[in-house]
Amino acid sequence: MRTQLQRDNISSKPSVEPTVCLVGMPNSGKTTLMNAITGGNFKTANYAGVTVSVLRGRSKPDFGPVRNIVDLPGVNSTVNPSPEEELACNVIQGKNPKVNPDAFVLVVDATQLERHLKFAGLVARQRKPTVVALTMTDLLPRRGQVLDPVKLANAIGTPVVPVDARTGKGVAELLRKLDTSGPQDGDNALAQLPTDPIAAYVQIRRLLLTKAVVSRADQEDSVTSRIDRVVLNRHFGFPIFFIVLIALFAAIFWAAQPFMDFIDGAFSQTAEFVSALAPDSFLARFVGEGLIAGIGSVAVFFPQIMILFFLMTLLEDSGYLARGAALVDRPLAYLGLHGRSFVPMLSGFACAIPAVFAARAIPARRERLLTIWILPLMSCSARLPVYALLLAALLQGAAWQAGLSLAAIYISSLLIGALVAGLASRILSKYRTPSLLAMELPVYRAPRWLPILRTTWARGSAYLKRAGMPILIVSAVLWLVSNFGYAPGSVVAPAAIDNSFAAQIGQQLEPLLQPMGVDWRVGVGLISAFAAREVFVSSMAIVFHVESDDEQTQQETLLKTMQSATFAGTSQPIFTTASIAGLIVFFFFSLQCFSTVAVVRKETNSWRLAGLQLFFYTGLGYTLAVGTVQILRALGVA
Amino acid sequence: MRHSAEMKAEIDNRFHLKPVAKLVPLSQIPLNRMVRIEHLEGPREDCDRLLDLGFTPGEEVVITHHAPLGEPVVVRVRGALLALRKREAAWIWVNLV
Repeated sequence: MRTQLQRDNISSKPSVEPTVCLVGMPNSGKTTLMNAITGGNFKTANYAGVTVSVLRGRSKPDFGPVRNIVDLPGVNSTVNPSPEEELACNVIQGKNPKVNPDAFVLVVDATQLERHLKFAGLVARQRKPTVVALTMTDLLPRRGQVLDPVKLANAIGTPVVPVDARTGKGVAELLRKLDTSGPQDGDNALAQLPTDPIAAYVQIRRLLLTKAVVSRADQEDSVTSRIDRVVLNRHFGFPIFFIVLIALFAAIFWAAQPFMDFIDGAFSQTAEFVSALAPDSFLARFVGEGLIAGIGSVAVFFPQIMILFFLMTLLEDSGYLARGAALVDRPLAYLGLHGRSFVPMLSGFACAIPAVFAARAIPARRERLLTIWILPLMSCSARLPVYALLLAALLQGAAWQAGLSLAAIYISSLLIGALVAGLASRILSKYRTPSLLAMELPVYRAPRWLPILRTTWARGSAYLKRAGMPILIVSAVLWLVSNFGYAPGSVVAPAAIDNSFAAQIGQQLEPLLQPMGVDWRVGVGLISAFAAREVFVSSMAIVFHVESDDEQTQQETLLKTMQSATFAGTSQPIFTTASIAGLIVFFFFSLQCFSTVAVVRKETNSWRLAGLQLFFYTGLGYTLAVGTVQILRALGVA
Repeated sequence: MRHSAEMKAEIDNRFHLKPVAKLVPLSQIPLNRMVRIEHLEGPREDCDRLLDLGFTPGEEVVITHHAPLGEPVVVRVRGALLALRKREAAWIWVNLV
């Protein structure tokens, strides 16, 4: 009883645990170290107004007393900091109300001592326990360099522990040193470093030279320069880049397919099972068809997104991602984007939501917002089932034509995205100050599997958490709207879809739908697609009363039903070449995804861009769809 | 009046004249030629950041690669590789070493 009480006391006061902040430049190996200290047990904490990930976790009990570990954003410049860097500097100086550091681990790349020690003065002047974690020491032999950590510790007056985050070597010693080392002496060599970069660099070099810390200065990394000679080669550079992209696409679409089928099957069976438990109960149907199927519509993309995150993390960790960004920087800069925009754009072909997160890596705000602006145009995989259905209806079974059209749709989505970015950056050119690229190309390293898997999982679960809720809520609301309606006497009551609120909304929208050449039933499908675009297919099956147990035959039955569907009370068919083309155009442009809107709002911290995107793209999609239908009809295509 | 090469060297020697170094923007330097940074001249904030990244006067840098489209150029500075657009490299005025 007594021990129980004590344990409760301890666990109810997590604030007693000291907070250790990891600080360093980008690419110093902070996050890998974070992984090693916490055993991968950390999460992304968000800070209002800053689109930056601050990782928070707790150190593994193997490393002595448990500490709160905070991985701050990498700092390049303290003189005129970006918002991310400003956040890190404020935390270091104890000006942030949310994080109050008790000690610092300064993460320093052994191959770039001067650059990484340059802003150490800011940390040292806080007079708190500080230990330097020396990373990348295994890369020194590639440069023919030898570094003496003891001499380095003497030179900077701060304990130095070489760590290999990959094997965990040195991590325990690092944390022990934090305990034993007292507060930083306020006038050691580090604390005396000036803030002016030129003077700071001169002083660091003098320190390192007089104490003979490194055997030879500034050598090239032999492995990296050999690989770069091929990867950045005039002839091979782009072919290699395209092969990498194609492999990535292949993995996202083909390798993920079996997993997606499995998840899809599992969820639809569970949903059916739950609904069948009490066929007359609306609660059972709500849980089955509304909630479980709603979760399923998110979960079905999970394999794709995990594969995407895994491969992106792999490319990032090995060092190739930065080269890819450098290769395409020139054309992207012409469009007002940044070399790094290619990662979000690529992710956008799987799903816009992880793509919006990926845009965080773009340093300049203007380029980040412009990248986010065009992401809804990238043909995400939720559109794939919709295009598959519409193209099958349009081309009536000619598979190669459908495949070719699909490829054309994908390529045009990229080209139109480029066009929109180019136009937007020129129209808004008075706000345009070209940003600085100055992007570090990290050395090539063999991939570190465990940290990669942990990062993949952290990113994947963050996606589920942030995208899952909005999709779940929207699909629950849409289910209620399509299963309830006004009964005679104006009471809300369960209703068939024809009499539901959705149908009423659809009928209200009929004047808008007529120019698109479709009726209210398609309107219901379009509205429900705001939960997730692929929901269009299943709601078409509902509104056109297609019932079949087998999914394969359901698709065929749906196609047949669509082909024979006519406007109510007439023999005029709904799905003609013109109206189907119009629908494809509508899905191509419009931002039919409330989750994307919610995530963009969160990332930009305002409704402005998110709302503008929703109305601009949906308006554009509608206008162009109507234009397509009317022009095709005028040309005599029914 | 024209001087022969020897005479010119003699004059330089006697008056301790160093050959006048010609400043060139880094963007015009060929591959693998070691150069020394003289000064930075460009937008204030961007140049401050370049200084912070290690492009300080007196530092020796070398262009190790050109990307296939001609830019960015990859510059080795203080043990790091940094990709710079041509216009950024043009702000860095260098001396041939």
